[in-house]
Amino acid sequence: MSKPKIAIFDFACCEGCQLQFVNLEEELLDLIGVADVVEWREAMSEKSQEYDIAIIEGSITRLEDEERLKLIRSRAKVLIALGACATIGGVNKLKNNFNDLDEVKKCVYGKDSKKPHLATQPTKAVDEVVDVDFYVHGCPIDRKEFTYIVRCLLLGKTPEIPDYPVCVECKAKGNPCLWQYGQVCLGPIIRAGCGARCPSNGFRCFGCRGYTSNPNVDAAKEVIDKFGLTVDHLKTKMVLFGSRQEPTIYG
Amino acid sequence: MSVKKIAKDDFAVFVDALIAKTSVIGVQAKGDRFDFAPLESAKNLRLDYDVTLQPPKKYFLPPTEVLMTFEIGGAYRSAYEDEPFVLLGVHPYDMVAINQMDELFQQDNYDAHYMKRRNNATIIACDVVKPSENVFASSMGTAVVRGGYDVLLTDIGNAYVAESGTPKGEKLLAGMKGVTADDAALKSRESVWAKNKKGLNRHELKCDPAYLPRLLDKAYDHPVWEERARTCFACGSCNQVCPTCYCFNVQDDVNWDLQTGKRERAWDGCLLNGFTKVAGEHEFRNQRSDRFRHRLYRKAKYVPSKIGGQIACVGCGRCVAACLPDIANPVSVYNRLIDDQGIG
Repeated sequence: MSKPKIAIFDFACCEGCQLQFVNLEEELLDLIGVADVVEWREAMSEKSQEYDIAIIEGSITRLEDEERLKLIRSRAKVLIALGACATIGGVNKLKNNFNDLDEVKKCVYGKDSKKPHLATQPTKAVDEVVDVDFYVHGCPIDRKEFTYIVRCLLLGKTPEIPDYPVCVECKAKGNPCLWQYGQVCLGPIIRAGCGARCPSNGFRCFGCRGYTSNPNVDAAKEVIDKFGLTVDHLKTKMVLFGSRQEPTIYG
Repeated sequence: MSVKKIAKDDFAVFVDALIAKTSVIGVQAKGDRFDFAPLESAKNLRLDYDVTLQPPKKYFLPPTEVLMTFEIGGAYRSAYEDEPFVLLGVHPYDMVAINQMDELFQQDNYDAHYMKRRNNATIIACDVVKPSENVFASSMGTAVVRGGYDVLLTDIGNAYVAESGTPKGEKLLAGMKGVTADDAALKSRESVWAKNKKGLNRHELKCDPAYLPRLLDKAYDHPVWEERARTCFACGSCNQVCPTCYCFNVQDDVNWDLQTGKRERAWDGCLLNGFTKVAGEHEFRNQRSDRFRHRLYRKAKYVPSKIGGQIACVGCGRCVAACLPDIANPVSVYNRLIDDQGIG
């Protein structure tokens, strides 16, 4: 069996998830032992139009990016969305909270805002443009989860990605609940799989892995009432990674 | 089996000597709470704790463990943890939970992974000094325990009364400096037990727990399941902190050679989305209310039917504390059913 060809492409993002590949260190050698990396701008100069697996990092914020992504999809047998920007739109969706994108551009770029290369459109997650076969959640991604998914793929096996809240992993670690210490933690509605990394280190869950497929927003409202908070408190915490996302559409 | 009275300072000396010889897990402060953790010194031990964040279950059934390693199409080899250890400071309700788990893991398919750890454990239980905010062990008949431990300690103020429960415990007790407990010490212990039998009761069940299976016989279609589950996050916090929840999931992962790999099991929880997912993506308890009901049936009907009627809720109150929307409390659910259906 010939080795599958992997190509890695970046769109609007900080490229921190790709950096996690580099951080695989010795495991990176294992990875290239079982697959040929044919394009990866961050680490090599070669380019290719032939690949089996396309890994997409970043969110889609320009028309030409949509076209480029569709072309990649047409060439790839399997497409993986890598990291929060790609899987849920991530931090880049913050701008979708503003109705007037010209105002946003003016605020960010000042007098240069009209220049053509700064054209922009509302941010989209990768699956709002093309079909996605596998998601690697998180900001940044979890390296172990990524390599697990790749190995599953190479075996033709469906990876098991949690669709339950972060609380599961947080409680299993024996952490006290951060809500009881005055933090508005998003753990109860956010997809697990990170090993509750932030709450285990005393920081509330920021929601980078996106909502579970069925988050209980009613329960969230009940709990913020119980803690004497308002929906606005919750929104201010959800806005970073959760802007304009189904099913809550909380700004 | 003997009963000794041991000065607290002498007990600390005994614990430090034990730590020098073997691995000791003891209750310690974790921030302003408590939890079991490897003990480095007797001075970190907090037998005056109210409740631990996690029950001691994890030392027998870890959150994740490797069951075996394998080669695809080839041989496999079971993996076992096989190190002796001492578990120090198990409260009676948690001891009851361990006793139940021992029965369950020996039934049907004997679970060698669990039992290896269990047989390697020496358990020093201790009676409750300070009731936790949500304990209801008195209601469940688990405030005091007689059995399962190797040694039971009772704080009688100026000293501990220590009683062995097994030959292993008898040997341990022989190494503790102390005198045979006199009548006064035994009387003090009796009064601790009498106090706890009534006083570990922040939530009061309105019936004898033995009645619960019959209560649930008639409650399957009661509206309480829907009402409560409306605000259920399905976060499984109640499962994850429960000393008697033992459901697990099993998954395989392969190494980079794509030939060899390992099979791991990890805690699962009946409240979680996907818990009942089977081949073909079918999920037979798709609704939160179905899963919410299942947990309470599991505790007071299904598991009891496997272990001679013992109720599989031991009243530790951890689920009550862990549930953000305040719906998990088994006592309030069962009491609601009693209010609506009566007893008998």
